[in-house]
Amino acid sequence: MDILEPMYTLVFTELVPSFHVHLQVLLGLLVLWVLFKKSEKPGRPGKAGKSELDIINDWKPEPLVTPVPAKHRGLNAPVTKNQIAQHITVNGVKCLNFATNNYLALVNQQEIDDVAVAAIRKYGVGSCGPRGFFGTVDVHLELEEKLAQFMRTEAAVVYSYGFSTIASAIPAYAKRGDICFVDEAVNFSIQQGLVASRSHIKYFKHNDMMHLEQLLSEQAVLDRKNPKKAAKTRKFLIVEGLYNKTGEMCPLPEIVDLKNRHKVRLFIDESISFGTLGDTGRGITEYYNIPIEEIDLVMSSMEGSLGSIGGFCVGTTFVVEHQVLSGLGYCFSASLPPLLTVGATAALNLMDGNPDLVKELNEKCDQLHRLLHKSETLARYFRISGCRLSPVKHLFPLELKSGTENELQKIVDLCLQDGVALAVPAFQLNDVKFQTPSIRLTVNSKLEAQDMSKCLSTLEKTVIATFKPTSTS
Amino acid sequence: MLAGGHGNSNPNTNYLKSRGLWVAYSIGMLVLHLILLSIPPLSIPMAWTLTNQVHNAITFIVLHILKGVPWIPTDQGATSLLTHWEQIDEGRQFTKTRKFLTASPVLLFFLTCFYTVYEPHHFVANFLSVCLVTLPKLPLFHKVRLFGINKY
Repeated sequence: MDILEPMYTLVFTELVPSFHVHLQVLLGLLVLWVLFKKSEKPGRPGKAGKSELDIINDWKPEPLVTPVPAKHRGLNAPVTKNQIAQHITVNGVKCLNFATNNYLALVNQQEIDDVAVAAIRKYGVGSCGPRGFFGTVDVHLELEEKLAQFMRTEAAVVYSYGFSTIASAIPAYAKRGDICFVDEAVNFSIQQGLVASRSHIKYFKHNDMMHLEQLLSEQAVLDRKNPKKAAKTRKFLIVEGLYNKTGEMCPLPEIVDLKNRHKVRLFIDESISFGTLGDTGRGITEYYNIPIEEIDLVMSSMEGSLGSIGGFCVGTTFVVEHQVLSGLGYCFSASLPPLLTVGATAALNLMDGNPDLVKELNEKCDQLHRLLHKSETLARYFRISGCRLSPVKHLFPLELKSGTENELQKIVDLCLQDGVALAVPAFQLNDVKFQTPSIRLTVNSKLEAQDMSKCLSTLEKTVIATFKPTSTS
Repeated sequence: MLAGGHGNSNPNTNYLKSRGLWVAYSIGMLVLHLILLSIPPLSIPMAWTLTNQVHNAITFIVLHILKGVPWIPTDQGATSLLTHWEQIDEGRQFTKTRKFLTASPVLLFFLTCFYTVYEPHHFVANFLSVCLVTLPKLPLFHKVRLFGINKY
């Protein structure tokens, strides 16, 4: 009672001014209102008022597999036997291979096969876990060291799949609210990385630096209006060294200049340009003689020039090591099998040891480039896309109709029967940009002059056979 | 550092729900108060006012100023612009955790008023600080940034 007494005296002797009491009662009522309010239950937004049973009854399952037309190319994929190298046996016909990505012709090298077999004997077939979880084998560390050394960067990180390399590296840095400036012809893996990043995407026209500069300037105006927001927004510029969808080269000097002027981070996908550009195959930076430090992150697949599986990113230690915990493809998928890792290392050693490999490829690319541009038949029906040194060349039809893709497929099928394997690039349904149908020719360094002329004559013959009737009628 | 696990990518949403946290929170307040009481020059009213001020300052900074999460988030930045208070229970209102965190500074304020014997200077300082931590907790102010303060 002794304790309560001061309170009674306070209240009843009116020592407490009345506004104290009012404010306290108000505060007390507010807290009581909060305390007695019914708590919100976790639930799906937009489903309020519906019982669980209603939702279950309303649900109509979608078919697991939607009906596919019998002629769909997925059901009629060409069947190949033997190792896919300079020649490829499709449906029993031995063809010259202009279809698969094997630029330096390292796919069936005996010495690479030997080290891969030795790796199976030593490590077994798989690596049995993600890199951070028992999946790191000494060969992974060797390959990373070798890649960093070859590309003259501080660090490298190896992924187990080329597609997921690029699709994981981008969202490791670009987050919600950030802005990505992207060429509209970028490949599907970059697009998927951008979707996963949840950032704002601004596409500029293919290799159009004026358009890119315009977009960057527009952003600079917005940034000046709201500097606080700009300070928290990262800006990325994402391009490919050589574009998979067009075979064109990105104008790197202009891009680096814009990057420095507008303070954006530059990511380059070198899936095709690695091993094909530059005197020793170090990619687009070597070709333009630009220090690789200018590029914040170089990403590449190892499925092109290196003839293995997987991919890698190189850059400064600070940038690359972030992916060890944030690259989803690195953290959450099993590491690259040791046999493929040593295969990639051996291929890289071969590349490093013989710079002539790249020179040879460059000559072949140039040769095919000149042949394609000389052909009058092709010029009548196609626009030839792809720069001189690109191992990937595209033939875009001059006039696009609804059946164009089928016609192109027909040309490719006829060429297959005549012993030349070409490809019509397949697009995913959710590949949103640059879905122009084309015929793709891929060069490898073992092609001879007569192979190329055979390819060209076959192509011309089938093109005339396919297009003639429609153009006359 | 990656946090969470078992489908919980953001521990900020639910660690305050964990068992014993209310007891730990109260003990923390008590220890703070006892430490302040044990400092000789401080009178009892001063120690109470300081307890209230320090408690409110800490909760204001932790719950209402700091945004995002202290670890590498796996949500692509969904919470990077949300304060800790807004992340609690995935933003649901009037949950037990929110009720506890709303009521505790007010209870502390009542105790402080009582032990400072309603001295006007103490009262004004304590009332302002309790308002500062109570108002942003109201559902009305959920995801609201007055005058764009602390927006980005």
